Amino acid sequence: MIEVSDLRYRYGDVDVLDGVTLSIPDGQYCLLVGPNGSGKTTLVRHLNALLTPDAGTVTVDGTDVTDDPVVARTRIGMVFQHPRDQFVAATVAADVAFGPENLGLDRAEIDRRVDTALDAVDLGDAAESRIDALSGGEQARVAIAGALAMEPDYLVLDEPLVGLDWPARQSVLDHLDALAADGTGVIVVTHDLRDLHERADRLVALHEGQVVLDVPPAEALDTLPDLGIRDPRC
Amino acid sequence: MLSYRPGSTVAHRLDPRSKLLFQFGLAIAAVAHPTLPWLVGTTAFALCALAAARLSPLAVLRSYRIVLAVLALAPFVAGVALGPPWFRVDPALRSALHVGRILPVLLVSAAYLTSTPVRDTRAAVQRLIPGKPGQILGIGMALVVRLFPLVLADVREVRDAIHARGGEARPLWDRARLLAVRSLERTLDRSDRLSVALRARCFAWNPTLPPLAFDRRDYPVLAVGIALAVSPLVSV
Repeated sequence: MIEVSDLRYRYGDVDVLDGVTLSIPDGQYCLLVGPNGSGKTTLVRHLNALLTPDAGTVTVDGTDVTDDPVVARTRIGMVFQHPRDQFVAATVAADVAFGPENLGLDRAEIDRRVDTALDAVDLGDAAESRIDALSGGEQARVAIAGALAMEPDYLVLDEPLVGLDWPARQSVLDHLDALAADGTGVIVVTHDLRDLHERADRLVALHEGQVVLDVPPAEALDTLPDLGIRDPRC
Repeated sequence: MLSYRPGSTVAHRLDPRSKLLFQFGLAIAAVAHPTLPWLVGTTAFALCALAAARLSPLAVLRSYRIVLAVLALAPFVAGVALGPPWFRVDPALRSALHVGRILPVLLVSAAYLTSTPVRDTRAAVQRLIPGKPGQILGIGMALVVRLFPLVLADVREVRDAIHARGGEARPLWDRARLLAVRSLERTLDRSDRLSVALRARCFAWNPTLPPLAFDRRDYPVLAVGIALAVSPLVSV
């Protein structure tokens, strides 16, 4: 269980997060939506202990992520908006192995995790391929595999569908469905709900750093335009 | 072009420590012996390295074209005189010989970069230089090797964006300023994002490194590398 309690964070004079309180149980498929500047990315960066709150706490199964960032980063896998910027190696397998290597695991365990993660995103045959030679959709899947290799309980994806064409979107979404079905918690940060609202269990909307909606997606659709988010049915 | 490409060439199968030692030895020999026979000899070794990595010398030279253009200026500048005969051949040739020593080092570097994964380089450096200095040098080299092609791609993208909106009409100085400032900004942005991604993936100074092992094919490479490295002492 991820628990966010009265989280506050300021950039300069702006309250980016203004008292966010939220619980995300294990295995939930959750959409975190809001217009640009609403605090979505800032919130998920706190989940991964990449930012330190000005006030409030984030805990994963009772452990404060600020006290133990490694726990946060192994339990919560993070996939960033621009996959190309998070690759640290030239080939697929080497990049996916990066996280497990940092955990100091032995080579056999690292190889097992890399194989499992690549199989989970259907890239088992591309292990030795150059990342630069892959399509945008395949690069997005490599980034997901990099997070999965940490064997997280939750996967947080920040705008994972931006810039992908329809087949690539479907491919990424199908893999997220499979992960959710296997019990991995999936948290998708987005301002574009097309193809997503029917898949998720829950929708949390942020506006000016506050949670303004926390309901099943179907119940939120009529309200979304008022929050500056396009109705995905249109 | 000058980034790692998966493969199974002889160069790919060598231990990265052998390749690093060979590069080191060749660089020392090239710098220590500014004579035509040594230039020919080190260039021959460099061509062997390219053959071992199955790289075309012409393709590699094309990748280095900007560096080579800058290097080619040196003999020209050395030969130019302020009075008749306006250009002197001897100093130009001497300068060309000195500049030419850099060529085999560049060729061997190309063979290394295209045949060695970044993490193997890091592992080799950390094994050759123990402790924190090796860790810092290893991660530093790994980041440079990873970021450099991305930075070049950014610079090309900025240049194309300037051209796409008729930037050629602006004075050269203005274009150069735009290219430099925008490229630097993008490089810093990219570095920031990479730094966040590294933290999210539990970056460690001392991770599990890939196993390295010498085998039979490494010994001749090591022997040549050591011979080249000690050649200045033997010559004395």
